[in-house]
Amino acid sequence: MTHPEELLAGYVDGTLEHEEHAVVDAHLSGCDRCRDEIELARGARAALVALEDAPVPYGLTDPVLAEAGRRFERRKVVVWERLQWAAGLAAAAALVLVVVLNVGGEQDQDVERASTGATGAVGAPEAAEGATLASGLPPFQGLEEQEGVGYDDQGVESIARDTVRVIAGETAPAQNSALFAAPDEGLACIARSGGPVNDPNTTLVRMIRAEYEGTPAYFAVFAEGPGAEQPASTIVVWIAAEGDCRLLSAASLRF
Amino acid sequence: MPEGGPRDEDLVRRYLSGDRAAFAALVERHERRVYNLALRMTGREEDARDAAQDAFLTVLRKLSSFRGEAAFSTWLHRVTVNACYDLLRKRQRAPLLDRGDDDLPRVEPPPVPDHADLSDLSIDVQRALMQVPEDFRAVMILHDVHDLPQEEVARVVGVPVGTVKSRLHRGRVALAKAMGADRTSPGGSDAGEREGAAGPSEGTMSP
Repeated sequence: MTHPEELLAGYVDGTLEHEEHAVVDAHLSGCDRCRDEIELARGARAALVALEDAPVPYGLTDPVLAEAGRRFERRKVVVWERLQWAAGLAAAAALVLVVVLNVGGEQDQDVERASTGATGAVGAPEAAEGATLASGLPPFQGLEEQEGVGYDDQGVESIARDTVRVIAGETAPAQNSALFAAPDEGLACIARSGGPVNDPNTTLVRMIRAEYEGTPAYFAVFAEGPGAEQPASTIVVWIAAEGDCRLLSAASLRF
Repeated sequence: MPEGGPRDEDLVRRYLSGDRAAFAALVERHERRVYNLALRMTGREEDARDAAQDAFLTVLRKLSSFRGEAAFSTWLHRVTVNACYDLLRKRQRAPLLDRGDDDLPRVEPPPVPDHADLSDLSIDVQRALMQVPEDFRAVMILHDVHDLPQEEVARVVGVPVGTVKSRLHRGRVALAKAMGADRTSPGGSDAGEREGAAGPSEGTMSP
């Protein structure tokens, strides 16, 4: 026997059309199983309808409202557009500084996931695991301590340009006198500020601790590409304050 | 669900054009519904809090890509249900990882609701709900507790409305049997005399 299963919920709810109702009635007169089920379903529905809302716990939405507030502070995002690397360094003179408001949601990452993923020791961070960028990027070496060094936007730009040179194979990674430390704290901070730590199309190539316009900060340098095993095409420098991990600046350089 | 005041979609637009208070208004408007949906889905206050917070953070992150193809409330329900699925899955996985043993599947006992203020009846229903498979539970909670029409439930869950109808019915039957089994386990009541007291009948739990 086939049972009019899709009609039984509506029968219990009392929302069936007249004809559908009649179909179910006719079926029920000869089907004990469906009659039993209708009775059970009525009891279940009554119990569910009688459930009352629980009060919302205090502070439930504090985290999301705080995050929304942080996002509004990210006013200053500097983007260097379209450096034609092939044209050589002369093109650097043609860098355009664009200040955009409000980081778009698309490039924001799952902060929680990112911070739990950021527990690797010195060496390749976990973000590299699912990387879909073509290889050939310089290996991530850990957190570079640059004590007493400060950067402004121009300095950040040169960090990005240096990275492009390294990727292009023109210079070796900066490892001469750098002191490397575990990147965990810096990674967590970058993730908290919304940095693309866990983006499969983004690979962390360098992290620096230095000052940005007088504020102690972490500088995370990412290579970003279109995915699908294609080479990186953009360098993103993400800068978060060391103390409260707020986003100080984010800059990208396409090459 | 909003009664009066600006539409959700207008608040979204205002937020995206720089009105920070519009987001707070959206959150305040929906927190009760989101939290209670999560509470019924997960069965524990602590988990409901986590899932609700995850859902709101997801909404915040993805708001700029919300283009209004679906109603905001549909999207919010979907994000919340997905946050609950994620959390329930995480909770199932955690003990396995602790034991360092991937081979032995372990059946998690349904969590006991810990809300001190819930009435006995509510606790019974919640305990029984946790024994109904998630997909069926979600449909029942959205339709019977949160009063969404079947068509809206279908949009939230992303399945055809016919599937919603059949999940709703099968879920209710399973819930009633779970409640009956609960009641009869120590004391006894007539509901337990039905065949196969707990769980769906005849293995027809697939949509």
